[in-house]
Amino acid sequence: MLRLLGYLLNQGVVTSKEYCEPLSDGVGLPDFSDQPCAGSECNECLSVCPTDAISLISAETGGEVRLDLGACIGCSMCVRACPEETLVNSKNTAVARFNREDLVISSIERKVAEPMPKTKSLFSRSIACRVVSTGCSACDLEIAACGNSIFDMERYGIHIVASPRFADVLLVTGPVPKAMHDALKSCYEAMAEPRRVIAVGTCATSGGLHKGGYAEANGVDSLLPVDLYIPGCPPHPWSIIDGIKKVMAGRGTR
Amino acid sequence: MKVERREIALGERTETIRQLLHRDSRRLGLISSINGSQLISLVLNPVEGAAVCWETPLQSKEYHSLAPVISQAHWFERTLWDMFGLEPENHPRLKHNLLHEAYSPHLLPLKLDQNLFVVGNGNGSGISTYTSTGTNGNGNGSGNVSENGHCRDYKPMVVKGDGIYEIPVGPIHAGIIEPAHFRFSCLGEVIFNLEIRLGYVHRGVEKRLCEMPWRKQRFLVEAAASDSAAAYALAHSIAIESLFDITVPPKAEYLRTLALEIERAAMHINDLGGLAGDIGYLAISSTMGRLRGIALSMAEKLTGSRLQRNFICPGGVVFDPSGKLSEIKKLAHQLRKDLQPVMTFFMSNEVARDRMENIGVISPRLAADFGIVGPAGRASDQRYDARQYFAHGVYPRIRVPVAVETGGDVLSRAKVRIAELDSSLFLIEQLIDGLPDGDSLLKLPDSLPKNESGLGIVEAHRGELIHMVFTDEEGKCSRYAIKDPSVNNWTGLAIAVRNNLVSDFPLCNKSFGLSYSGHDL
Repeated sequence: MLRLLGYLLNQGVVTSKEYCEPLSDGVGLPDFSDQPCAGSECNECLSVCPTDAISLISAETGGEVRLDLGACIGCSMCVRACPEETLVNSKNTAVARFNREDLVISSIERKVAEPMPKTKSLFSRSIACRVVSTGCSACDLEIAACGNSIFDMERYGIHIVASPRFADVLLVTGPVPKAMHDALKSCYEAMAEPRRVIAVGTCATSGGLHKGGYAEANGVDSLLPVDLYIPGCPPHPWSIIDGIKKVMAGRGTR
Repeated sequence: MKVERREIALGERTETIRQLLHRDSRRLGLISSINGSQLISLVLNPVEGAAVCWETPLQSKEYHSLAPVISQAHWFERTLWDMFGLEPENHPRLKHNLLHEAYSPHLLPLKLDQNLFVVGNGNGSGISTYTSTGTNGNGNGSGNVSENGHCRDYKPMVVKGDGIYEIPVGPIHAGIIEPAHFRFSCLGEVIFNLEIRLGYVHRGVEKRLCEMPWRKQRFLVEAAASDSAAAYALAHSIAIESLFDITVPPKAEYLRTLALEIERAAMHINDLGGLAGDIGYLAISSTMGRLRGIALSMAEKLTGSRLQRNFICPGGVVFDPSGKLSEIKKLAHQLRKDLQPVMTFFMSNEVARDRMENIGVISPRLAADFGIVGPAGRASDQRYDARQYFAHGVYPRIRVPVAVETGGDVLSRAKVRIAELDSSLFLIEQLIDGLPDGDSLLKLPDSLPKNESGLGIVEAHRGELIHMVFTDEEGKCSRYAIKDPSVNNWTGLAIAVRNNLVSDFPLCNKSFGLSYSGHDL
C-alpha cells in the first residue's frame, strides 16, 4: 500500500497546463492557407475526398473552394493532393461550432474559430454529461480520454453521469443508425430541461461515411435539435472539452 | 493471401466441413454468402497458412444448419438469415442478429437478386416479395409488418421457475460504452442465463463497401470499428493486395506491423485499466489512463492520428514516418519500464486477485467448440494466434511468444494481456531497430482484377480478424465480408457469466473487451 502511494507520488503532475493545446504530431482537420486554388483545372482534392466534403464554387484560378468540416474525416488526403498548398493541416483543436453552416469553411472568406461565449448561463460552473454511443467507439474512447489525468475535464466542472435524469447535456457519438433512433429519443425525453445536445464527431454531425445508407445513419440533427457540433473523426480530447465548455458558457434556448 | 475456391454440394456440406474441422486443428473462418444464391464456408488451415473457401450453390432459401454439429456456426447463420434471407433448418436458436424491428421485414440488404427463391406471395412461407420502394418503415408499427404478419420480432430465451427474475440492461449503458441489450435471468444474485442482443450499431458497412470505389473503401473499413483501425486497414490491404497478387515493400511491412503492435499495446492498456476500474482499484486505472496516453502519442507520432487512422493502405503505407521512429522507440522503452511496477501492484493485490480468480470461467473445451479467439481464447488454453500462421506484416517470419494460460477466468485473460503487452512493446523496439531501407508505398493499378477473391487475416488486439473480397466479371467489388474477432467471442461472454454473480458481470465483460460496432458493422 505504502509502496503504491510512493509510486503514485513519484509520477508527479501529468495534467496538461495549457488549455486547448495545438497538435504537435497529429494532422488535425484541414484548413485553407493564403495560397490561391488552381480552380477546375486541378480538381485533385475533389477526387480524393472520401466523403465529398469539398466543393468548388468557382472554376477559375483563385476562386472559391468550400470545405464542410462536418463531413470531413480528417484523412488529410486533400492536403497531400493539393499542388498549390491551398489546403493545409490545421493544428488547431478548438474546432466546435454552434451552427452547422459555420462548419463549412471557405477559401475566400476566412472564418476565425468560434470564440468562447462571454455570457453567463446556468451551466457556467458545472455541467453533467450523458454519453450515448451509436457508432464505432473512436469518439467514446476520446471522451473517456478527456477524463484521464492528462486532460482531466473534471477540473473545468465537466462530469460524466450514468443516467439522462441527472444530465444537463447529451453527448451523442456515431451516426445514429435506425436501431438506435427510438433509444436516443427516449434518452433525450428523459432529460430535465433546460437541456443541451452536442454532436460529437463527424458521424454524429453529418452521418459521415455512413450517410444515405439503408440504416438511415444520417447524424443526430435528423432526430434531435443540436446545440453544438464537434467535427473530427474522432475529435481530439481538447476539441471535446472545448466544445463542452462553449456550451457551458452560454447559448442554446431549449 | 490467396484463397482456394472449391465447390461442395449442399447434401455433403455438413459432413465434409465437420470432418475437416475435426482433423488436424483446422478452423472455421467464416460462413456467409456472396449474393444470396450460394453459401460460402471458409476453412482455415493454420499449420500450412492456407485457406479453402467451400462454395455451396443453393436451389432454395432453406439449407441444413451446421449449428447442431458445429456450435460456432450458430452466430453466422443468424446473420445469413438477416442479410440474405437464407433460412437454416434445425438451427437450435434462430433469431435476428443485426436487423431490428425498426427495419422493414422485406429488407434483405446483401441479397443481389431480390426475387430469387421467392415462391408465391403472401402464403406464409417466410419473407415475401420485396419492393425497392417499400423498404422504409417510416417508424409506424404497421409499416413493418408484412402481409403475412411476419415482422422482425425478437424473443429472448425465457428462464422459468420460482424466484427467477430478469434484469434488462441497455441498449444505452451507464458508462461510456457502445450500445447492446443484455438480459440477465437471475435467481437471487446468480446469473442463470445471459441473452445478448446486438445490432444496435448496424450501419450497413458491408453493403456500402460494395457501392464505393475500392480506393475509398479503406476509409470506411477503418471507421467500421475504430478501436481496431490499424488491424482493419491491414486486413483490408492484404485482401486487396492478394487480388492483384503483389507483395508490398519490406519497409512497408515493418511500418504496418509497428502500427498493429502500437494499437495492441494501447488497447491492452485500455482494457487492463478498465478491469482495474471495475474492481475499484483506481490507483491502477488512473495510472493506466496516463500510460495509455504514452501509447497514443507513439501512435500519433507514427501516423498523425491517435487511433492510427489513414495510415495503412493497399500497397503499403500512406507516408513514411521514418524521422519519428527514434522518438517512438524511446517512448516504447519508457512505457515498458513504467508498466512493470504497475502490473506488479495490480497482480499482487489480494483483493484484486480475489475478484478475478475463478470468475467468468470458460473451459478449454467450450472455448474450442465456440472457436473463441484472441486473448480470451488463449486464456482458455487455445494456442491459436494468427501471428504464428498467417502472413500479415512481418509475421509469421518474426516469431512472437504465444501467451497461454489454462484457467479460463478473468485473471487468466488479464495475465494473457499483460504478457502480450510486454511482448508488443519489446517487439516495437526490435522492429524499429531492424527497419529495412527502401520504398514504403507501391502503386496499384486502377481497376481490380475480374472474378477474383482475396483474403486478409490479421491478429487484431481482440483476435483473428478476417476480411474477404470478391470481384465480379466487371472487376467491381461484389461482396466484402468482414469477420470481427468479437463475432466468435460474444458467445464466450454469454457462457462465461453463467453461475456468476450479477456484480461480476462488468468484470467478465471487460475481461473479454468485445467490440459492438465490429460485430454489428
